[in-house]
Parts: sequence; structure tokens; C-alpha cells
Amino acid sequence: MLDGAKAIVKGLGTTFKALTAPRDTYPYPEKRREYSPRYRGKHMLAKDEEGHELCVGCGLCEAVCPAHAIRVVAAEAPQDQPVSWTNRYSVDYEVDLIRCIFCGMCEEACPTNAVRLTPFNELAAYDRQSMIADKEELLRPAIRK
Amino acid sequence: MIRLTIDGQEIEVREGTMIADAAARLGIDIPVYCYHEALGPLGACRMCLVQVEKMPKLATACTTAVAEGMVVHTSGPQVDKGRKGVLEFLLINHPLDCPVCDKGGECFLQDYTFRYGPPQGRFQEPKIQKVKDGPINDLILIDQERCVLCQRCVRFMDEYVGEPQLLLEGRGVETVVTTVEGKPATSQFAGNVIDLCPVGALLAAPYHHKARPWNIERQESVCTLCPVGCTTLTTGRDGQIVRVEGRPVVDRNWGWLCDRGRFGFDFAVHPRRITTSWLNGREEAAARTTREIGQWLRQVIENEGPDRVAFVIGGLHTTEEAHQLYRFATEVVGSTGVVVSRDVPGYLPRGLNGTFEDLAAADAVILVGTDPYESVPVLHLRLRERLKNRRQPVQLMGVAPRELGRPTLPVDTLVTHVGHEADVLAAALKRGAPQHPVVETLVSKGAGIGQGLSEADLARLGDALLQSERLVLVWDGVEPEVEAAFIALAQVREGKRTRVLPTFGPSNWRGFERAGFSAQYAALTQVLEAARDGEVRMLVLWGADLLREYPDRRLVEDAYQKVQWLVAEGLFLPTGHEAFSAVVPGAGPGEVYGTYVNMEGRLELATPSVNPPGQARPTKSYLTAWAHALGRPFVVDDEWDPYDDASADLLPDEPVPTTITPIAAPVSNPGEVELVLSAMVWDNGIPSQILRSRMASPLARVSVADAERWGIREEGLVRVESRGETIELSVKVDERLTPGRLLVPLGGSTIPANRLQAGPVKVQRVEEVQAR
Repeated sequence: MLDGAKAIVKGLGTTFKALTAPRDTYPYPEKRREYSPRYRGKHMLAKDEEGHELCVGCGLCEAVCPAHAIRVVAAEAPQDQPVSWTNRYSVDYEVDLIRCIFCGMCEEACPTNAVRLTPFNELAAYDRQSMIADKEELLRPAIRK
Repeated sequence: MIRLTIDGQEIEVREGTMIADAAARLGIDIPVYCYHEALGPLGACRMCLVQVEKMPKLATACTTAVAEGMVVHTSGPQVDKGRKGVLEFLLINHPLDCPVCDKGGECFLQDYTFRYGPPQGRFQEPKIQKVKDGPINDLILIDQERCVLCQRCVRFMDEYVGEPQLLLEGRGVETVVTTVEGKPATSQFAGNVIDLCPVGALLAAPYHHKARPWNIERQESVCTLCPVGCTTLTTGRDGQIVRVEGRPVVDRNWGWLCDRGRFGFDFAVHPRRITTSWLNGREEAAARTTREIGQWLRQVIENEGPDRVAFVIGGLHTTEEAHQLYRFATEVVGSTGVVVSRDVPGYLPRGLNGTFEDLAAADAVILVGTDPYESVPVLHLRLRERLKNRRQPVQLMGVAPRELGRPTLPVDTLVTHVGHEADVLAAALKRGAPQHPVVETLVSKGAGIGQGLSEADLARLGDALLQSERLVLVWDGVEPEVEAAFIALAQVREGKRTRVLPTFGPSNWRGFERAGFSAQYAALTQVLEAARDGEVRMLVLWGADLLREYPDRRLVEDAYQKVQWLVAEGLFLPTGHEAFSAVVPGAGPGEVYGTYVNMEGRLELATPSVNPPGQARPTKSYLTAWAHALGRPFVVDDEWDPYDDASADLLPDEPVPTTITPIAAPVSNPGEVELVLSAMVWDNGIPSQILRSRMASPLARVSVADAERWGIREEGLVRVESRGETIELSVKVDERLTPGRLLVPLGGSTIPANRLQAGPVKVQRVEEVQAR
């Protein structure tokens, strides 16, 4: 009888000690961890101050990508409607986020600093198709809530 | 021969060779921008600096001729320092726009900077701004900022082509390459400057911003738009051909192309290209059409016999495809009517067929009927190169119903009446070798009059024909009797080399012949006459468009009416396709692997860079399906190889025929105006959207004198009466055309030339109603 009570007290003691101890887990998604600004998550395509795309569709990211996750199609912009800061721009820019290994080589290769990896890492979807990020999506970088 | 040492290796070269060429022969790469072997030394870019022992300073390898006992070092600290300095200067005003430059990745400025250049420039001042993406013409762009002023383009146009439409303007750092008076360059060889440009200054407008060197499929191919068969590189991107470049072959060609071949690649994606099948005038799924044709085939063979099916091949098919069709037609079907579609009646025996090497070595070249500038443009450049070689003079003559040549390629033309070419050749032979039995046979039916030509003219032609050591004739095949004159000529000349280059099509007719088809005009006529007489129940046209090509349109129309099942395969709907039972889409050049045989009889391999679009299939697919429908075995992957063991990439030589057919006496032409039919590569029936602006102008031409007589200023409309038919033609005034002649392109898509007959015609001007 006494042995039993002792055991209960010992057990609850462990429980109460753990209640006040600092936690290793987070109550995701209510609370989220801070990442380093250098964290390599989902890509984005940047624009300059005048709203022109920085990407000129040179395709160097496509060439350097070890996972062949990027596809770029360039074109010449109409004379009076510039898309990027020069007359060449990317019509299509797609990143297959399932293929991507987030190595950051595209960011490193980009001569215009257009493609950047954001710390956004909440990449989940119900099908593969929606994991291919097109240009529309990349131009409006996702922000963590 | 001179011996010298380059980087420790000894080599013996001919006197006058430049160090750069000697090094290239050893496989040592010397960086160079301005130098091109075809253009000769200039020494403008200073990139090829090498160290020559006992010379106080670095020397340029492209302008320094070799000397006995010379010791050259192409690398080392001193050379590297020199090249580094040159590159730093070249890069002072060069914009940093490699990411947007089409040349990026295949650029010599990038490559050499990477290898020899300074990591950083010391020049801090703002760079000079010049024209970016300005036009040379609507197909070529120039970025003057990127130019390194090597002058290759300017010298190519000026010296090599002889049409100086590009020049250097300004001085010092303000020097730019531009067109004369800012007018667009009109030369049909202007596209070559894109290949010549070592940097990204001259760019192809259709390829602008399209792709990069690492995301394209670049394959060695052959241009099939004319019988020259220029070697090319085709660039495929995302299942479409987006660019064609010239491909130099060592010791054989420089890789020049004409603009027709360079920019005319888009016929594969032209809106008129068919990618689905047509069954009884309606679009239908390919599988159903193929099955249906198989049923018809079976019906004809079982009910009426295999000889009631005839096959006509044409178009842009490879030799292998032709062989597959030949095997199918003869072995599976058992037909005997297997012929090549022809647009001119002439035929050239293989034994007389010459090569471009013959042309380069010839001391007399005679153009019979053909103007290479219009029909086989790159041959024009070859002739010019031959003419420019002043060490061995060449006599260039022409026998044609109109003045041949250009200011850049003067041809001593004997202008004959239409249909008198063979007669004039016979007349010249009669003057040159009067007692020769061969000549006597040749003229036994009264030929050899030489109407309208002076004794001196004929003697001059006779001398060129008989006295020259190595004679090359270029022939358009319009007049079939010329063949007999060639055979006689070869016999009279005995041991001296006599060779002919045929400029008629289809481009791969020699390949079709190699595959087994008969390329004789008579054989095709026989098949069509049999069809007209109701002896052919099923006519299969493989790429051939007879209504456009065959010289007698009426015979084709009659044959089409009589044939029960008219089946066509091709890239486009054939003329009069409403009457066809079925049309199936075929695969074109750049989409199938195979060989083409050019006008030299040389086999050239083409590798595909894209897949056939839509439901278009290669020949083999259809034939296998039909063999299956017939329930007969058909082996397509056999051992057959168009190459010959002994003659390598040339077709095997054959003996020249010995029988001399006498030439008939010419009919004297009383007419005021004579119609001249001539092949023109710019209107050969293959459409192109890129070249639309260049092709739009009317191609039929009248002379200045006739135009004045009819009151036509620059362009006009005339009514031509010939063979009982009248058609209206829009014509352009041609300064170089002989008066009394009306020039009409052969087999073109814009003018139904086969409604007309060469010879005297009645021409009347039609008043145009001008919409303003």
C-alpha cells in the first residue's frame, strides 16, 4: 500500500517536473520557429524599384540546376511594353518544387540577382501538378503567416 | 615546302602559308577573330599574337607567313600577357550583357576572355553607347556595342560575295559596322555574316532571344531546298526547329548558305503544313485513313492486279525512305510503275556527273540554261571563288535563252532562242571538230544551225568546249536534247575531263534513283499516260505534287480524273487536293534520319533534331501498316545502305553512255516574245513565313524594252497566251533580262507555269485598277 503511494508520488513528481521544464517542440502551426535569413526555401523572382522584372531569361539557372527542376523560355518584349529592365524577358519560368533540392545554385548563378530563395518552406499539396511553381506564383513570393 | 617548328612540333607547309594555318594543321588552337581562311589575312583584331624566335616583338599569326627554320611559341608568359592586353582593350567598350546576348555560351569573346583575359578591367569611365538590336535587314540584327571590329562581315560581303552592302563608319572608338546609307542589305548571302561574327554583334532575327546553347538540340543536317545540298546545323528547341547554321566541312566547303536555306526552315511549322489526314476531302484521324487506304490497296491488287498501282516519289524525302517505298511498291505490292516526280524533262547520266572539286579545278565552266544565282545560290559563290583564284584563269561562258550572270559574276553568254540550247552546242561542236564521226551523227538530223549567233561566237564556244583541259558544264535540264550533246562532247574530248552539274530537282532525285526509282522523264510520262488511259486504278504520290510540278498540266488533270484512288503523302496538301481520295501527313527533313544525295552525287547524312509534329509519321510507319493490311511480310530494317564501298560518299561511277542520239533540227521561233522557264529557289513551292517579305514580289519578269513597249513601269499585269490557254501573270521589270523574253519560275507555288509552254507566246498588258 505504502509502496504503491510512493510510486505514484514519484511518477507524478516526474510529470510535474516536466510541466515546468523548457519545451523542445512547438505548437505548429500556431507558433513557428525563427529561421535564419539565409535559409533556402521556395524561390521567388524579384523586381526592381520601377516594377520591372529582374529576370532576363538567360537560362543560366536552368543550366546550373543539378536536379533539372527549372525551365525558362525567353522572348523579346514588344518595343513599348517592357517586362524586364531590358528587351529580353522570360515568358515562362517554372520551378518543379518536388524535383528541387534547394541547393541554391540558381540563386548563385543568376547574373541579375532575379531568382532568390526565400525562407518560406511550407511546401505541401495534394497533387504533383500544383507543386510546379509558375512565373505568376514566383513573382508574388509567399509570406509566412 | 618550308619547315618550321611550332611549340616543339615540326611541320612542313607550302610557301606563303600563315602561321595560324600551319598551327591549325598541327591541331594547335590560336585564338583569332578577324582571320578566316576564305577571306585571307587582315590583322585587325591582334588576338592571334604569338612569339617567334629572333623577332623582337610578338607577331600576329594570321598575317605572318612561315619562313624556313622559324621557331614559334603559341603559349608562354609573354604571349599570354600580349593576349591579355588585347582582350582588355577589346572589352573596354564591350557591354556586360552576356545574359541577354544570343551568342552567350558559344561566343569567342567569352571563351578567350575566360582563357586569356584579365579578371577585371581597369577602365572605370562610362562605356560608349551605340545602336543595340538595330536592323541590317528584316532577318539580321546588329548590336554595335558588342562588335569587336574584326571586319569579317564587311570583307565577306565586299570581297567574297561582291555585294558591298556593309561598311565601317566613323573613326576610332566610334567606328561601327552599318549598312550603306542605312538601307537594308538585300543580298541573299547576307545571312552568312551571322555565322561569321565571332561575337554577338550580328544576330539572326528569327532566333532572337529564342534559346541558349545548352537547352537546344543541335544536329548535323543538310539543306534540302535546292540540289546543292549545303551542309547545315539545325537547332531544335521544344520540338521545333528554330535556327539553321552553315556547317563547314574541312577541304570541301566553307559552310556558306543562302538566305533561302538559312531562314526557310520554318516550312515544318508553317500553317499550311498538314498534321492530320484527309479522307475524301474531309479531315480524318490518321489511323482510320491509313486503314482505309490499306483496304483500297487490297481491293485493287486482288481484283485487278498489282500493276494497276503506281508510285511517284518526290518532295524532300531521304534516300532511305525512297528505298523503303521502292521495296514496298515492288515486293509487297508488285507494281512496276515506280517513278520520280520531275518538273523538267532533262536527265543526266551518272557517268557525266561532276563534283564541286571538278568545278574548283576547271579551266572552263559553261552554264547551260541555268543562272546559279537564282536556282542554286551557293554554286554562284563557288563560281565566284573559282573566278577569284587568279593563279589559274577560268573561262566562264553561258548558253541560254537569256543573259546569264551578274555584275559580280560576269558570264559570256550566247543568247539563243528558246529551245535552241542543244542546237547551239551542236553548232559549236560542228565548228570545232567538223569531221568527227560523233559530231556528224549528232547533227545528222539537221541540228547545228546556231540561229542568231555569229561565226565568232560559235568558234569561241567551240574552243571552250574542245580546247579546255577540264571542262565543267552546269545544266538546268529544261531542254532534254542537251543530254545528247553532252554525251557527244565527252566522246569528242576523249581523255579530257568533261563533267556536268545538274541543277534540276527534286533535290534528292539522284537518291531516289539510287533507291531504285526511275528518274527518267519518259518513265513518269508513261505512268501518267497509263493513268489517263485508265490502266492505273490507284496512284500513290509520295511527296510529289504533280499538278504543280509536271510540265504538262493537262495530262496530270486527265490522269487525276481517271484514277479511282488518288493517294498522297506529304508535308502540304497537294495542288487540287479536293480530288484526292486520301492525303496522309509525312515527316520532313530534320524529323527523320537519313541521307540525301546532292547534285554532285554525294551522299550527305542528316540527323533529326525534332520529332514529326501532330499525326505526321515517317514513311516506314505507313508502309508497315499497309503491308499488314495486305497480309504480306514487309522487312524494312534491312541491310541496305546507300553508301558504296569503293566510292565512299560519292555514288558509284558508271560508264558514260556511248550511243549518240541525233539532235532534231530546231524550230525557228517567229514570235515576238519567247517564254523562258527557269527554276528559282525563292519560289520552289515550299512556303516560309519568315521569308514572306522576300518572296512576295512577283517573280515573273519582263525586260526593260518590252516593259516600255507595253507601258509597264515597275510592276504590272500581263496576259500570256500559250498552248491555247491564257493566264494572267504579275510581272516585274528586270534590267538584266534579254529583250523579247518573258521569264517565269518553274514549279512555283505562285504561278502555274506548267499551264504554259516554253517558246513563243502572245503577251498583252492588262490594265490594273489601282485601289487607292
